[in-house]
Amino acid sequence: MRISKFKVCVSLLLSALMLFSLTACAGNKKEEINLMTWADFIPREIISQFEEETGIKVNYKDVTSNEDMQELLTASPDQYDLAVVTDYMVEILRQNGNIGKLDKDKLPNFGNINPAFQSKYYDANNEYSIPYAVSTAFLLVNQKAVSELGADPIKSYADLWQEELKNNIVVIDWSVEIMGLVLKTLGYEYNETDPAKVAQARDKLLALRHNIVRFETNTPEDSLISGEAVAGFMYSNQALKGIAASNDLEAVFPAEGFPMYIDSFVMSAQSPNPEATYKFLNYVMSGEVSARISEITKFTNTNSKSAEFLSEDFLGNPILNMSAEVASRASFYINVDAVLDKYSQIYDEFKLK
Amino acid sequence: MKNRGITTSKIKNNAPAIPVLVWVGFFAGVPLVFVLVISFLTRDSLGIIVLEFSTENYRRIFEPVYLKIFFNSFLLAGLTGVVTLVIGYPVAYITSKLKGRQRTLTIGLIMLPFWISSLLRTYGWRILLDYKGIINNILTGLGITNEPVTMLGTFAASLVGTAYMLIPFMIIAVFNSVDKLDRSLLEASYDLGAGKLKTFRNITLRLTLPGIAGGFTLVFIPALGLFFISDILGGGQTVYLGNKINELIGRGRNKPLAAAMSIAMVLFITLVIYIYTKVSKEEVGGLL
Repeated sequence: MRISKFKVCVSLLLSALMLFSLTACAGNKKEEINLMTWADFIPREIISQFEEETGIKVNYKDVTSNEDMQELLTASPDQYDLAVVTDYMVEILRQNGNIGKLDKDKLPNFGNINPAFQSKYYDANNEYSIPYAVSTAFLLVNQKAVSELGADPIKSYADLWQEELKNNIVVIDWSVEIMGLVLKTLGYEYNETDPAKVAQARDKLLALRHNIVRFETNTPEDSLISGEAVAGFMYSNQALKGIAASNDLEAVFPAEGFPMYIDSFVMSAQSPNPEATYKFLNYVMSGEVSARISEITKFTNTNSKSAEFLSEDFLGNPILNMSAEVASRASFYINVDAVLDKYSQIYDEFKLK
Repeated sequence: MKNRGITTSKIKNNAPAIPVLVWVGFFAGVPLVFVLVISFLTRDSLGIIVLEFSTENYRRIFEPVYLKIFFNSFLLAGLTGVVTLVIGYPVAYITSKLKGRQRTLTIGLIMLPFWISSLLRTYGWRILLDYKGIINNILTGLGITNEPVTMLGTFAASLVGTAYMLIPFMIIAVFNSVDKLDRSLLEASYDLGAGKLKTFRNITLRLTLPGIAGGFTLVFIPALGLFFISDILGGGQTVYLGNKINELIGRGRNKPLAAAMSIAMVLFITLVIYIYTKVSKEEVGGLL
């Protein structure tokens, strides 16, 4: 009898302990900011230097997607100060009230930002976001291998449909990107909603199936370096890695147009440490720091005052600094939510073909 | 009065189970209820869940594209079960015949991979199967093939990866039932004039059937969810349930549909477990 009572007590205690362990949390009041974005997107050395100079601790949370950041900002808005998200996500976060307006008086370096990357559709008056890095997606091609297969040189998306390229193309694994590629090939705009045009794009897309050897979002350049594929549609930072690794690879900005992404700082509407956050933002907007970040991360620089600190290599790179003619062909994916379901279904059908 | 006595003593007897039940109820039951509720809701264009009842998500599962995804996943999971059984059964059988140190060592080696991150091990396979990988280097180096063979990005690569990841479960499950095998029954069978094959079919196989069914269940169920293997080794060439659910929760911004697909998957798995309990009960019950 005694033992069983004891047992009951112990088990109840254990149950209680298990539940309490869920809520355990501690807080301390040292100056710090909570930042989230993709791993290594903001270089460690820049963050360390900021911490040394200001004594503000930066807690860097790695995430894998814009949607993860949306999730975290929605679930615990008072836990995060700062995030770096892509253009379309700025729009979503703004509409959902997850992010707050920036106080420009606390950002003397705000004027350093290149106006070419400001006043975009997602933040027309530059109230919510600060452009941090710019990237694009285009074709990386091994023209020598293409001609060895007996195909014509690849100059545009349309060339990807050549029969000779069977099992020789690698693409980013995402419905919106691939449907975008097909829509541009047909001369339409990104995220077209007209059913007739979408149906036409579907048929065109299905015809490409046999040429795809791999769907790969993280390291598509590896397929070209190893020779598994002769052409790929990928992000600019990946293409740059490929070009650095192999002399046979060249970037092709398709005649039909290509996508552009602006990743921007946004501040949580309920940021717990706004003062320290402004100090950090101001720090990374200085021309010198911005230049150092770009040299490390290999994304297009968004700062007007950084040129004097950037290397010749960086400034002369046609991928990082597109000519006006090439840049005019770049455009954003907007209105993603209107097409996501439909495109995703077409894309699944394409993959399962 | 009498009834009350029985219930209190029942509670007392089962007291040690209460923490486990609270634990499971809290961490498995509550989330499952959440998933069930969400699967009947809708979402707005920005992916936020809206409190509006709908059965649309379940209707969509029956669209041909999604049915094909289900079929694909069950095909992969089923074949994984078969492959792990074919390889795992002899391994388990031989291991159970080992004695002392050899046995401990073998079981230790079978469990060893669990000490390493599964993601890491999957990338290890990539080094082997890559276009310029180790296997292709050997093949071309020995002149067996002129050109490297594309192995990554195929269904076979996904199958190899999934089977590799889950085979210890099959081996251990079969091992447990082979180990319990009463060897005197085998001798009796031989005494009665049955050959090796007949003895295996009528005695060994039948008595280890619960182990096979258990192993199959242990392999089949996780095989439905190992989405990262088909991403890393399968080259994203096809769509499985795990990938689709993962996509819908994240970039697909459609949690209700993901929830409905999860519930459909849970229902199917329940069916598999039901069949398993039937099989194992019948076999054991019939023999005891």
